[in-house]
Amino acid sequence: MQIAFRLGTELTVATFIGAILGYGVDRFFGVRPWGLALGVILGGAAGSLNVYRAAMSLTIEDENTEDDNNF
Amino acid sequence: MESPLHHFEVHNVITIPPIAGLDISINNAVVAMWVGLAIVAGSFLLAVSRGISPIPGKLQSILEISLEFIRSMVYEFIGEEEGKRYVPFIASLFLFILACNLIGLIPGSYTITSQLAVTAAFAVGIFFMTLVIGFGKHGMHFLGILVPPGVPKIMIPLMVPIEIISMLARPISLAVRLFANMTAGHTVLAVLFGLAMTGPLWLGWLPFGFTIVINGLEIAIAFIQAYIFTTLTCVYIGDVIKLH
Repeated sequence: MQIAFRLGTELTVATFIGAILGYGVDRFFGVRPWGLALGVILGGAAGSLNVYRAAMSLTIEDENTEDDNNF
Repeated sequence: MESPLHHFEVHNVITIPPIAGLDISINNAVVAMWVGLAIVAGSFLLAVSRGISPIPGKLQSILEISLEFIRSMVYEFIGEEEGKRYVPFIASLFLFILACNLIGLIPGSYTITSQLAVTAAFAVGIFFMTLVIGFGKHGMHFLGILVPPGVPKIMIPLMVPIEIISMLARPISLAVRLFANMTAGHTVLAVLFGLAMTGPLWLGWLPFGFTIVINGLEIAIAFIQAYIFTTLTCVYIGDVIKLH
């Protein structure tokens, strides 16, 4: 449950950061609404990447512990 | 009836007039933090002042086991050579967060880790620490962390913003996770206790029983959250040292 919660925050927070950065780009360069749209997509991609990495590291840990048990 | 969020409010214990526009009054959050600090520092000072014996007593065993646990965690994620320097920092972080989480479970006390300002201060400090470690160790090559290995050249303009966002998301998810877990757990406790107090006795024992069960669960969450926070700190430090 705790690990699932961790993955959830990872995805949400990255999307939010992307949205905020995109909004900032809009404000600075006056390219509304393209910055926000692109920012959300990039943020979602970054979130997925983080979740993927976290999940992969968890599976690697599991495999390592299994190996330890075998020996 | 009191709001379930009432116990998260900060109020001054000793009011000190602001100095140069800075409010340095002692409030209940600061007192809770001092108590956490005193418990961690006090238990270690007590163990050392009694004299370290080859056959450890109760207190010394607990402290030795906890330090060995943290050390093995640091070695696993950062590596034995590089990790040695960070063991004291990670150990203080873990023990302080754990002490603060556990203090918060005593009824009537204050949970300092349920304040976003506190967890965000930790997370932002760790974020800048990883940047300093990374630039200090690798110089300008540290920027290579923004390009994952094995990425085709066409994808690099797309991957760099994604990597920047995922770097910035790290401290925020670190801070929000600890804050949200502690706040949620304590709000549930407060709501259940409110139900127990307002209901008639023949009904009130049920939510009251649940507060006891959930208090036990919260003790587990206090340990798990302190562990997750420090593990992720180790992972982030390890990432900038190994650079992929």
